Amino acid sequence: MNHRVLIWALTAGIVVVSIASLCIGRTSAGPAFGLGDPEIAATVLRELRLPRTVLGLLVGASLGLCGAALQGLLRNPLAEPGILGTSSSAAFGAVIVFYFGLASQQSLLLPAGAVFGSLAALGLIYMLAGRRASLITLVLTGIAINAFAAALTSLALNFAPSPYAALEILFWMLGSLADRELTQVAIAAAVMAPGWWLVSRTAVGLDALTLGEETANSLGVNPRRTQVFALGGTALAVGASVAAAGVVGFVGLVVPHVMRGFVGYLPSRLLLPSALGGALLTVLADIVIRLLPAGPELKLGVVTALIGAPFFLRLIAAARRGTLR
Amino acid sequence: MARAIIVLISCGLMSAARPAPNVVSINLCTDQLLLNIAAADQILSLSWLASDPDESMLAVAASAYPLNYGTAEEIIRLAPDVVIAGRYTNPYTKSLLVKLGFTVVEVDPARSMADVEKNLLLIGEAIERTQAARSVIAALRIRSSSLRASNARTAPVRAIVIRPGGYTIERDSIAGEMLKLAGIEDQATTLGLDAWGSLSVETLLRADPQLMIVSDYKLDTASLANAWYAHPAVTGLIRQRPTVRLPVSYWTCGVPQSLDSVEILIDAIAADQ
Repeated sequence: MNHRVLIWALTAGIVVVSIASLCIGRTSAGPAFGLGDPEIAATVLRELRLPRTVLGLLVGASLGLCGAALQGLLRNPLAEPGILGTSSSAAFGAVIVFYFGLASQQSLLLPAGAVFGSLAALGLIYMLAGRRASLITLVLTGIAINAFAAALTSLALNFAPSPYAALEILFWMLGSLADRELTQVAIAAAVMAPGWWLVSRTAVGLDALTLGEETANSLGVNPRRTQVFALGGTALAVGASVAAAGVVGFVGLVVPHVMRGFVGYLPSRLLLPSALGGALLTVLADIVIRLLPAGPELKLGVVTALIGAPFFLRLIAAARRGTLR
Repeated sequence: MARAIIVLISCGLMSAARPAPNVVSINLCTDQLLLNIAAADQILSLSWLASDPDESMLAVAASAYPLNYGTAEEIIRLAPDVVIAGRYTNPYTKSLLVKLGFTVVEVDPARSMADVEKNLLLIGEAIERTQAARSVIAALRIRSSSLRASNARTAPVRAIVIRPGGYTIERDSIAGEMLKLAGIEDQATTLGLDAWGSLSVETLLRADPQLMIVSDYKLDTASLANAWYAHPAVTGLIRQRPTVRLPVSYWTCGVPQSLDSVEILIDAIAADQ
């Protein structure tokens, strides 16, 4: 498919799902269409559905973009923001804030904790893997940090002040876009934007890196600069995502794979479609949550995995038969 | 001076004419506290767990009210004067509601009957039912002291509480206080398990309890935690020892009705002797 046509199609899709997302709410009786009572319609639209939709777009775009960049950087189709320990460390940072019961008084502390967590993971990777880290060292260090952060989170859950606090933390970790404020969305956007900028600057370097580190070097591309930009950008964008919406899995893994089928194998051409596709999938999943019959809200991470996994498996089956381009 | 008096009088008149604030609760424990002290017409909605008899001690009373799932969109549509939430209720929802101008009262989980009294007063003041809260507290104290007096002379009974998965109870909790009131020495504490923790089957066998308190939760549902009860050593012990069944809901929240559990325990001890 023509690259430009794909971008336009994705953009059109985003517009459609965003409008749908603004029109669909959820009450005790189940999904609610339209805005209802005109007196509260403005509040519902401005304070509930707008932040929810915008945050869904931002989080999805961050995950899709960073997933594409990391898959290109690590030349590993399994790579996603989770693999470098970014998501789990960010989640641990946020859980610590929860643990001390600070989250409700100052909701600014939550994003701060998460971004601090993801930056700490990144710093640790650099300390452990050294200044001239090979990609394999980087991946292994990421996996170790991932396990460590997950263990620390379990530890915090173990010591949680009450079983109920543990339960709230667990549910929060599954990801949700419900009841976020516009200020929280603005904070997330302010942290994500420099992250996106950093990741977008890696396009040329990622293309060169597909030929291997030495070849990239000889082509005049500084692989180290590409690494720093991709990882730093991911830490910012994913840290802010986790802080605002919890851990939303599968988007960063599935979307780049789907898009690769359309745009081919150059990482630079994958970045923008993946960001758009991620935004589309995340808002779509969040609409599905609101369309389910009455009951406690399903978590976003659950739905993205439910939609993403079968799709991904089908993709793998198609790839094995060689029918996938 | 005269003007000030008129202002004062009109303020007084206004407050007399203003109806009592209506209220939405979005937490299981505050639901039950609210049912104890609010006037029926004050409650606009309770949380969805409040009418589940597995979770709530006041499920029947709660089923008279519309239920909510604790989302901001529901609460905005209900437009209550006061929203009552737990300390660990979704912080995003709480801060959004505060920002939208709602009065949100956060209630800590109760670890003792003193906490229950404090929470009742806190909610009572927020919904202008302080007097009702005070009388519930007074009744609570009378009932506590008569329960305490009823078993003052007997030696403490060694007992162990087993929850699904072998979980015990915390010493500093409503459950711990209810055991003390019933004249029971909690063996989990003497075995060194005084925080919320899980008991191994071996520890349970060595504990040699005089009374087993099975605090079960949805026994008919399959879970690894419920499978714990099916361990031959556990079922054997339950068969051999006097056992009292006490649903988890009695101790899930600290509420005045938690004292019912003390009566069940005292009856079980009396039946055994």
